[in-house]
Amino acid sequence: MAAVVLNNVTKLFGETAVIKGISMSIAKGEFVSLLGPSGCGKTTLLRMIAGLEQTTSGSIIIGEKDSTALPPEKRDIAMVFQSYALLPHLNVFDNVMFPLRMRNLGTRQEQARRVKDVLEMVQLSHLATRRPRELSGGQQQRVAVARAVVSSPQVLLLDEPLSNLDARLRESMQEELIQLHRQTGLTTIFVTHDQEEALSLSDRIILLNEGTIEQEGTPAELYGAPTTRFSAGFMGSSNILDVELVMDGDACRAMLSAEDVLTLAKGYVRGGASTITFRQEDVQLAPAGDSTCTARVETAIFLGSRVRYVVRAGLHCIRCLATDGQIFKVGETVALQVAPNRIRVLD
Amino acid sequence: MVRAVPPWVRGAAALFVTIVMIFILGPIVVVAGVSFTAGDYIAFPPQGLSLKWYRTVLDSNVYVQSALNSLQLAAVVTASATVVGTGMAIALHRGRIPGTGILSALMLSPLVLPTIVFALGLLMFWSSQVGRTSFVSLWVGHTVIAVPYVIRTTLAVLSTSDRFLEEAARTMGAGRWKTLIHVVLPQCLPGIAAGAFFAFNISFDEAIVSLFLRSPEIMTLPIQIYTQLEFSPDPSIAAVSTLMIGLTVVMLLAIDRLLGVQKVAG
Repeated sequence: MAAVVLNNVTKLFGETAVIKGISMSIAKGEFVSLLGPSGCGKTTLLRMIAGLEQTTSGSIIIGEKDSTALPPEKRDIAMVFQSYALLPHLNVFDNVMFPLRMRNLGTRQEQARRVKDVLEMVQLSHLATRRPRELSGGQQQRVAVARAVVSSPQVLLLDEPLSNLDARLRESMQEELIQLHRQTGLTTIFVTHDQEEALSLSDRIILLNEGTIEQEGTPAELYGAPTTRFSAGFMGSSNILDVELVMDGDACRAMLSAEDVLTLAKGYVRGGASTITFRQEDVQLAPAGDSTCTARVETAIFLGSRVRYVVRAGLHCIRCLATDGQIFKVGETVALQVAPNRIRVLD
Repeated sequence: MVRAVPPWVRGAAALFVTIVMIFILGPIVVVAGVSFTAGDYIAFPPQGLSLKWYRTVLDSNVYVQSALNSLQLAAVVTASATVVGTGMAIALHRGRIPGTGILSALMLSPLVLPTIVFALGLLMFWSSQVGRTSFVSLWVGHTVIAVPYVIRTTLAVLSTSDRFLEEAARTMGAGRWKTLIHVVLPQCLPGIAAGAFFAFNISFDEAIVSLFLRSPEIMTLPIQIYTQLEFSPDPSIAAVSTLMIGLTVVMLLAIDRLLGVQKVAG
């Protein structure tokens, strides 16, 4: 059963189309990330699901109830804002109780018990009587999350909730979010511009670009098999090359130059100008010798456990992340190899 | 970082602060001093000490009656200015009304318009459009000059608040009214309290608008003081003024207790 369904929704701000016909279905209990660069419409889409922005056309169904025209308070949702939006005049306990009070869920005692449980879950019981401004950023964030899950909504909406935290705290909050999702089983939509965050948290990633869905799939699919140049670039695939494809028998070869050739996996049957992509960690460098592709090292950056090289093959700059101990010098000629099944041809 | 301030700058700063303090506190000291005189004339330093002028004031029907009038007026002005000012501040803060900029300038104009000009204008308008001056015209006049203070103090508090609070409340199941009552108004409270305090004091001290808009049978305390000063000046004026200052100080302390002066100062 789908917890949230979007049918061809669009959003116009004046003349400008921000959301250009997006459909999606989010299963109960699923953790979905809306990923994309700023201005791609991901926050607008989230706000439309929350009811904070009106939908220009299309429909939004939450918990099998058409909610397109409902105001936010009538939708069975909860949202965590980037700024947390804690009520400064209420203490932690009353902040978390607020949704239950406003929605009249249960008796006063039941509400208090529920708040206690949730505060325990996010390990904030000892701060229940504090005001929000007496808390650290990470603690405020947890209060915001507790307040969102307390009413067990049909869908939990998270608008870049980790972006105001420093790197170390962000990592531990990611782990907490995963745990919380496992414990509560709440359907979650998570907006982020950070591909690593999306990769590590989600069951499914929906990559947005200029108000449309660019690609969607599991983190592994988006990471390993981007289908478009935008997906490849956004998911951190740093080698996107415009090359000539040539069929050689039943093998398809990408010509980096007249002499330098990469072989694609079996199954690709096409020729002419194309775009191929492969990840920098999939590039293997070896001492120059008998190989189909040679390159010249242009820069080498030592990163501790790895070395990042930029090499030039024909007209193409290729980034590689080498893990082995072999160190090449700038200016050296090397043999370049990419496993055929790691190279993808983009649409 | 300022590492060292030259001694003469320190000296000048100390002098400057002293002069400012003298001019702020001096008049209060003089008035309070005069009020405790045992003599029959306004003179500083006072000649002998006594509370007889306080007795005179409290026994005087005109002072007591005008004080009651002023308190009553200040009370209703505080109520109306607070309601109007808070509503205006919330509306201006949202900025969804067309012409918010013009509207906010207009709302704050009583702060810069010479009071005497405003008072005269309102009198002419009132006489031609409404009728005789009365307690109501006084109420309206005082409210107009008090409202900007409520708007300013409330806006100051609102402008520092998280602009997503209202939206957050909506996503938590609070409709527009519940959001207003449970989220927006509690936010504004320190600003509203400060504005109410200003409104009360402005109305209670106000002489110019009262002079124009009162009806002859309504005497307010500032006008009573003014009249007394003009026709038969005696130390009772100092005594009643000291009582007014005392009232203000008590209110200030009460507000500080309840909300903290820091918040109120916006």
